[in-house]
Amino acid sequence: MSAQARQAGIRLGALNARERNVKYLMFACASLSVLAIMLIFLFILRESLPAIRQLGVRNLFLSADWSPNVSNPEAGSYGMLAFINGTIMTTLSAMLIGAPLGIGAAVFIDQFAPPSIAQVVRRGIELLAGIPSVIIGWFGLTLLVPFIARLTGSSGYGMLAASLVLVVMALPTITTLSAETLRSLPPELQEASVAMGATRWQTVYRVLIPAAREGLLIAVILGMGRAIGETMAVQMVIGNARQLTFSPLQRTSTLTSRIITDMGEATGVFRSALFAQALVLLILAMVLIVSIRLISRERKH
Amino acid sequence: MSAGKDGRRSDRIAAGVFWVLGMATVALLLFIIVEILARGLLTALNPKFFLGKPEAMKAGGGILPMIVSTLYLVVLTIAISLPISIGAAIYMSEFARRGRVSGSIRFCLDSLSTLPSIVFGLFGMTLFVIYFRWGMCLLAGACTLAILNLPILLRGTEEAIRLVPNTYREASMSLGASKWTTIRKVVLPTAMPGIMTATILPIGRIMGESAAIIYTTGLFVRNIPLNPLDTAAPLAGYIWYAQSEALVNDYRRIVDGGAALLLIMVLAVYFLARYLGKRYQQK
Repeated sequence: MSAQARQAGIRLGALNARERNVKYLMFACASLSVLAIMLIFLFILRESLPAIRQLGVRNLFLSADWSPNVSNPEAGSYGMLAFINGTIMTTLSAMLIGAPLGIGAAVFIDQFAPPSIAQVVRRGIELLAGIPSVIIGWFGLTLLVPFIARLTGSSGYGMLAASLVLVVMALPTITTLSAETLRSLPPELQEASVAMGATRWQTVYRVLIPAAREGLLIAVILGMGRAIGETMAVQMVIGNARQLTFSPLQRTSTLTSRIITDMGEATGVFRSALFAQALVLLILAMVLIVSIRLISRERKH
Repeated sequence: MSAGKDGRRSDRIAAGVFWVLGMATVALLLFIIVEILARGLLTALNPKFFLGKPEAMKAGGGILPMIVSTLYLVVLTIAISLPISIGAAIYMSEFARRGRVSGSIRFCLDSLSTLPSIVFGLFGMTLFVIYFRWGMCLLAGACTLAILNLPILLRGTEEAIRLVPNTYREASMSLGASKWTTIRKVVLPTAMPGIMTATILPIGRIMGESAAIIYTTGLFVRNIPLNPLDTAAPLAGYIWYAQSEALVNDYRRIVDGGAALLLIMVLAVYFLARYLGKRYQQK
């Protein structure tokens, strides 16, 4: 390359002052996500500090006594353990059903379905992801809750109904990401297995699923993220009681459902304790994000 | 592991199980759609309902201000977040090098897309509604949803920009155009149909979102909101409100009708996105 051409090349790529400003503006747009995360953390933390200071970590996070006092917030107790329990129990039970169902549907799309049917299932799952959670909640409230009530003789409200609703909410995430992972596996894996005389099922569970392990795990973790954060649909079917329970058929609450049930009338330390619940949700979500990072770093090695 | 008689039999059983799992998801979707429409379609398509004013205390209320609220919120949210997304996407695809900065931006985008929407709702309430003193209004809801939808909108926009072949950029630069001129005159116009398609999916999400808007936008209004600083009541939030707290005794009719209407809107947006996406791919 001649010196002249190199100079021209430099000029072609270079930005003048106005263009540099535009570049900075675009950088600002990109950095907005960083700013947003920091602001969200800051504001949620700031609003929950009064409760943490006044009640202490033990009374706030490790007690299951949630007896708010609306007219005199200082006089109430605000222990959120029952709702942390509700969130974790409903999420884990939803994954117990949702993970096999979602990964199974992904294997069906990737391995067993004829192309046209695979396409139908893929579109169906996309569409399911787009159905608003109030609609899933209303569906659960009017069909699932009475069904459970008739089947078990309970009220129908509770963690069982909530978990089933969460399966519907998390299924699209798990299936879509699992199918993507399976599709990205090198085709030689499958070819080698089939060439050695393995059946499709043997190929799936001895070769493909072990090879896709990390990706499938990430899919399930992101599904958990959806389940932990789901609010309206859960609030409509879980019964919104304040008790700590492990029974799938008793009314209880999750962190999200408690926040929207109480926020309308909460002031003072009561309100601050609800923000502390949001802080717990925030931390749970960050734990999931960081574990996904760690898993995908492992995968690269 | 050769496929003996047992192997073939277990393969047939497995195939059967996977067919059931795959079809179960589609069946579930169809069941939900058919059930919601069967219950609410008649109410939803009654002009007295979708053109009527809601009632706070007595039966027979309609839902027009809620539909307007939802559409208004969609327009406002996209108006705020689309320029930001395009700017950020251009930066990420044309300027950013792989490194610390773009790495931390991606990490924050991933985190934003995993945070529960109720957390966005509480954040929007403290920042926009209380700290900025806007009160509950469309603008506060739109700003909240703009942040909530930034990751998904940015991802779609960036993909559309990356799909523009590099030869276009090289051709433009070799004609003497600067990098910025190339972006403005070549990259953006070529990517525009893709960007438009990428905008439609978030629209469906905005329509269906409720946890992030009930404390930023509002739950109940009787009049149609006109000003972005007016309190409004998007349909999804109102459906929740009507079934859980409203005092009218025909709430079931309202929720059935509202759910059917919301479902129709979301389905329409989805199929529009599919149609445009297909047309865009064919070109």
